[in-house]
Amino acid sequence: MTGGTVFLYGASQVSMAILLAGMFLLLWRLSKGPTAADRVVAMDLLSVLVVTFLVILSIHTRETSYLDVAIAYACIAFLGTIALARFIQKGSRNKQPRPDLCQKSDTPSENLPDKRSSHD
Amino acid sequence: MPLLLLNILFAAVFTLLLGSGSIGTFVSGFALGYLILWLSSPLYPEIGYFKKLPKTINLAAYFFWELVISTLQVAWDVITPRHISRPGIIGVPLAARTDLEIFLVANLLSLTPGTLSVDLSEDKKILYVHVMFLEDIDKTREGIKNGLERRILEVMRS
Amino acid sequence: MIEYFTGVLMVLGSLFCLVAALGVIRLPDTLTRMHAVTKAGSLGAGLVVLAHAFFHQQTGIFLRAGFIIALLLFTAPVAAHLIARASYRSGIPLSGRTWVDELKKQH
Repeated sequence: MTGGTVFLYGASQVSMAILLAGMFLLLWRLSKGPTAADRVVAMDLLSVLVVTFLVILSIHTRETSYLDVAIAYACIAFLGTIALARFIQKGSRNKQPRPDLCQKSDTPSENLPDKRSSHD
Repeated sequence: MPLLLLNILFAAVFTLLLGSGSIGTFVSGFALGYLILWLSSPLYPEIGYFKKLPKTINLAAYFFWELVISTLQVAWDVITPRHISRPGIIGVPLAARTDLEIFLVANLLSLTPGTLSVDLSEDKKILYVHVMFLEDIDKTREGIKNGLERRILEVMRS
Repeated sequence: MIEYFTGVLMVLGSLFCLVAALGVIRLPDTLTRMHAVTKAGSLGAGLVVLAHAFFHQQTGIFLRAGFIIALLLFTAPVAAHLIARASYRSGIPLSGRTWVDELKKQH
């Protein structure tokens, strides 16, 4: 076992641990997300992380067929995200004119007392 | 466009004849074919192809550079405890007319610094963009029009 | 040599993915979270797939890796645009830091 192989083995384990940490963070957002759109965003990134994880697993185990799984997963995840986005938009169509979104920016918010002064 | 097909065909035949079947052979075959086609370009009526390829490479290099820059910018805002983002939604009047041009502008815009295409007006003339670090509305709008859109239109219309 | 290159590229890519996940947690509203997802997410995944392609160095792997990168780079902005439009039209609250909204006049 050469030094390069050992390094690669450790590096793939480290990156899998990093990706798992990211996935747990996303699960938190998925369960907590204030709106449906936040959950869809978390779901979208979760699928990208799963694809990345599969590719790293393919390096770790030297089994290239994981790459095909990653391709299929990326296609299906994209279709799922599109369907969920259509679903959000459909759900809102029955409602009356949308509420005023920017009203919060007119009133001072807690972490930004003055819109202009924070940057200077 | 037929010249592009001819070039790919040349590269494929080159790869098959050499019998190694690697990507490097294909790329060098493509480059060799491009050189040969360029040398014989007085023979063909269309010359757009030779202007298009350098511009495509220019667009791709610009795009990947911007992708890296934008990721570092967003990453900086995420990692540091204090938020520095000043988000806003601005309308950018489009010079792109066909559906393909608008598709390319909107999609590449979503992947470049701090911009995300949100909506398109009914008459397809104004693209609404969510900007994450918005300091000066007019400057940002000019930057989008002169940086990304101009390069895409140069590729599409040459 | 190629092993060290692959390992460094892989850890870098997964760090970008972690930054994207942190962004989804930390940024204030849906539209800014989407910035983190489209940019950091696709760059991180692209780096890892690139590391894989350099590691194996076979034509089939190169083609499949290129296909995955193209798939990610094409689908991420399309999905982001759809989610952004749907969520804006369904009336999600924007963060208090938003100081311009030219789209509001349209509706």
